[in-house]
Amino acid sequence: MDLSYRKRLFILLLSICLLAGGGLLFKKLLVPKSFGVYGPYRADAIAEAALVPVRHGTNNSCFKCHPYEAKIHKKGLHQTISCESCHGTYADHVAEGKKIGTLPVKKEKEITTLCLKCHNTEIKARSEEVIKTVAMPNHLKDQKVKLTHNCNQCHHVHAPLKYIIRAKQITGLMEAGS
Amino acid sequence: MKRRSFIKKVLNGTIAGSLYLVWPMGGEGIQIPEQIPGIMGKEYDILNQEFAFIVDVTRCIGCGSCCVADKREYNVPDGNYRTWVERYVKGFSDKIYVDSPNGGLDGYQHPRKDIDEKIRDTFFVPKLCNMCKEAPCVQVCPVGATFKSPDGFILVDEKRCVGCAYCLQACPYSARFLHPDKKVAQKCTWCYQRVRKGLLPACVQVCPTKARKFGSMKDETSEVYKILKGPGVLTVLKKEMGTFPALYYKGARREVI
Amino acid sequence: MDAVHSPTAMLISNFVFPNDLHVHWSMMIVLYPYITGLVDGAFIIAALYYLFDVKSLKPVARFSLLFALAFLCCATLPLLLHLGRPERNFNMLLTPSPSSAMAGFGYIYAVSMGVLVFIVLFVYRPDLVELRATSKGWLQLLYRALTFDSIDLSKKALALDRKIIRFLVGIGIPIAVVLHGYVGFIFGGVKANPTWSTPLMPVIFLFSACVSGISAIILAYIVIRKVKGRSIDHACIKTCIKTLTLFFILAFTFEMLEVFSHSYLKSGYHHMVEGLLNGPLASSFWLWQVKICSVIPLFILGVMAMVTIKNYIYNFTAAVVSAILLLQVLIMRWNVVIGGQLMSKSARGYTQFHPEWFDKEGILAVIIVMTIPFIILFVLSKIFPFWAADSETNVK
Repeated sequence: MDLSYRKRLFILLLSICLLAGGGLLFKKLLVPKSFGVYGPYRADAIAEAALVPVRHGTNNSCFKCHPYEAKIHKKGLHQTISCESCHGTYADHVAEGKKIGTLPVKKEKEITTLCLKCHNTEIKARSEEVIKTVAMPNHLKDQKVKLTHNCNQCHHVHAPLKYIIRAKQITGLMEAGS
Repeated sequence: MKRRSFIKKVLNGTIAGSLYLVWPMGGEGIQIPEQIPGIMGKEYDILNQEFAFIVDVTRCIGCGSCCVADKREYNVPDGNYRTWVERYVKGFSDKIYVDSPNGGLDGYQHPRKDIDEKIRDTFFVPKLCNMCKEAPCVQVCPVGATFKSPDGFILVDEKRCVGCAYCLQACPYSARFLHPDKKVAQKCTWCYQRVRKGLLPACVQVCPTKARKFGSMKDETSEVYKILKGPGVLTVLKKEMGTFPALYYKGARREVI
Repeated sequence: MDAVHSPTAMLISNFVFPNDLHVHWSMMIVLYPYITGLVDGAFIIAALYYLFDVKSLKPVARFSLLFALAFLCCATLPLLLHLGRPERNFNMLLTPSPSSAMAGFGYIYAVSMGVLVFIVLFVYRPDLVELRATSKGWLQLLYRALTFDSIDLSKKALALDRKIIRFLVGIGIPIAVVLHGYVGFIFGGVKANPTWSTPLMPVIFLFSACVSGISAIILAYIVIRKVKGRSIDHACIKTCIKTLTLFFILAFTFEMLEVFSHSYLKSGYHHMVEGLLNGPLASSFWLWQVKICSVIPLFILGVMAMVTIKNYIYNFTAAVVSAILLLQVLIMRWNVVIGGQLMSKSARGYTQFHPEWFDKEGILAVIIVMTIPFIILFVLSKIFPFWAADSETNVK
C-alpha cells in the first residue's frame, strides 16, 4: 500500500476510536439485563436475596407437632425462649413437611450449663428487671439440695416454676389456681 | 388474585417452592401467625417500605442466642460474624474493657478475671449491620455488587462481587467479612428473605428478652414505630461517620463504639 | 518515642472487632501502589526530557519509558492475585459504579497503557525503521507493525512525530498523576479508617511515587551500564539526583506533616493512631521508614548537593541512596496499607499481620510478581534498544 505517513496515522487514530466504540458496544451487551432498574446494581439480586432458604421457623412451627411441650411452654416464664435456641434449627428437622433429622435434647450437666448461660449472677450486666439470676452453688445450698443437682431436677426447663408452684400449692403455701 | 400470583411467583423458584410448603408446616391450611403484619400473602410494594431495627442494650443478657441463630440460619463460617455481642465493663477509673470471645457465640459464662479495679457499669451490646441510609460500603463497591435496595436493605449480589474487600475497609462497624470459600463479601441482611415472608429476622425471633426489636415503620402499630415516635433517647453508632444508620440503640452508653 | 502513653492506655482495652482480626488487604495491595508508583516516577523522568526539555536526561529518557511500560504491564497482576474472584475482574469495566473511586481503575489503566505504548512507538520510530531494514522474518513483520508499516523518516514526518510525542507526554502527565493519585485516594477516601482518611494521602502517594520511580531509574541505569561495561553519564545522574532530592523532600515533609498534625490536633482517633505508630509499627515506621530510610538518605542527598565529590563516588552514592529510597517507599506502602489495617475499627485495639510464604498473596508470590517486570524489560530490550545512539558514546 502506498499511503503517506499522515494518512497512516489518521487510519491508526480512526481504528483506535473504532476499537473503543466497539468496546463500549460490547460492554452494553455484557451488562446484566436487570442492571440499573432501581440503581447501579442488578435488580434481580433483590429477588435472589428474597429467595434465600429460611432455616429458622417460629415456635408455632414447632408447637404444631409437639402439642404436649407447647402446652407447658406457652404457660411458663420461658415462653419467650425460642425452641430452636436450645434444640436446633427447624430446617434440620423438617423439610417439605417430613421429618428429616432428630434434633438434640440437652441432658443433665448440659442443661445446667445451658441455664447458666443466662441465669448466672456472676455476670453483672444482667438487669434484675429482665432476668432472675442465681449464684452457683449458693443457690443449691440455700435450697438445701445436693450440690450435684442439675437445674432440671427442680425446674421444668420449659416452664421453670411449674413444679415449684405445684409444690407450694400442695404444701399449702400457695392457693391452688393462683 | 394477588395472593395467587404471589404463590405462583414463589413456586417458580425451586428452593422457594419447597420453602412455601415447609413453612406453614404440618399440612394444608395451617398458617403461622405473621410476625410482621402486612407482608405475608400480600403483594410486596418494594418502593413503599421502611424498616427499623432497635437494640435495647438495657435488656440484653448476653446469652448469645442471636449469634447462635444467625450462625445456624446462614451457616456462617467460623471466625466470621454477621452479628456478635460485645461485653462492656466500665471501671471507676473510667477505663473501658471490652471483649467478645468468639463473637459471643458461646454466651458469657464467666466474668472477666483480668480487671483489678472496682466495676462501675457493665452491659452487653449486640452488633449487626447498621443498614446505613448513606452506606459507605455501597459507595465504594466498584461493581455495584453491594447496593441499597428500594426497601432500604443493604444487600450483596454474590454473583457480581469480585471480592476486592473494599467494602470491608469502608464499613465503620466492621459488619462485613469475606466468605472464606465463596470469596465474596457477606454481611447481615436483617434476614431479608424472612422479612419478605413476613417473618422476623432470626436473631430478633430467638431473643428471649426482646432486646432486639424489628418492624415496619409504615405500620403505626409496630413496636419500633412507637419507640421511634416516642420521646425515649435512641442513639446510633459512630454518628460522626455520617452514615445515618437504620439501626438504633436504646440505652447505649456513650462509650459504645 | 516511649511505647507507654497514658492517654492511649486509657482507650486501649485490646478489643478488636471480631471481623477485624484478619488483615484483608495484604502484601499484594502493598505491591500494587508500589508498582504504579515506579511507573509514575519513571514517566516523570521521561516527561522532563520530552516535554520540559531537560536535555541532560537524554541518556535515560527512552529507558525510563520502557521501564514504565514494563512495570505498567504488571500493575494489574497484584490486583488479580488479591481479588477473591479474579475471574470476575471484567465486572469493573462492565458495571463501574459511578460512586466508587475504585471503579475508575479499569478505564484509567487502559488509557494510561495506550498512551504509554504510543509514546514508546513514536519515540522509537526512527530506530524501529532502521531495525526493520536489517531484520528478517517474524521480527521484520513485528517491526513493520510497530512502525505502522511506514518507513517515512523525512524531516516533515519526524517533526510530526515530535509534535505527537509532546502531545502524548503532555496528556500522559495528568493521566499518570490520576493513575497514582487515584491509588492514594482509594486509601484517603476510607473514612472508617483514621490513619487513611486524609486528603494528604494522594499527595503523599504521588510524591513518594516520584521518589521510587526516579530512584529505580537511577539504580537501574547505573547497574545496567556497569554490568555492560559502558560509561555512566554523570550530568544525567546529577540531574536525576537533583530531581530526586526535590521530590523526596516533598514526600518526606508531607509524610511527617500527616503524623505531626495527628499528634498536634489530638482530635478524634489521634490516640489510636499514636498508639499504632508507637506500638505495632514502632520499628517499621519510626526505625525503618523514618530513621534509616529517610533521615540517612536525606543527609546523604544534602551532602551530594552541597559538597563537590569525585564523579565515581558521586555515582556510587547515587546508587546507594536510590536503593535506600526504593526501600523507603516500599516500607511506607507497607506501613500505610497493612499498618492502617492493624488498627481495629473498635478504636480499642490492634490486630496482627503474619505474612505467609506460599499463599496466593504470600511472600513467594510477591517475589514472582516483582520479577516479571524485569523479564518483560529484558524482552523489550530485545525489540527496543535501551540506549540512544549507543555506538557513539564513549565506551569505557
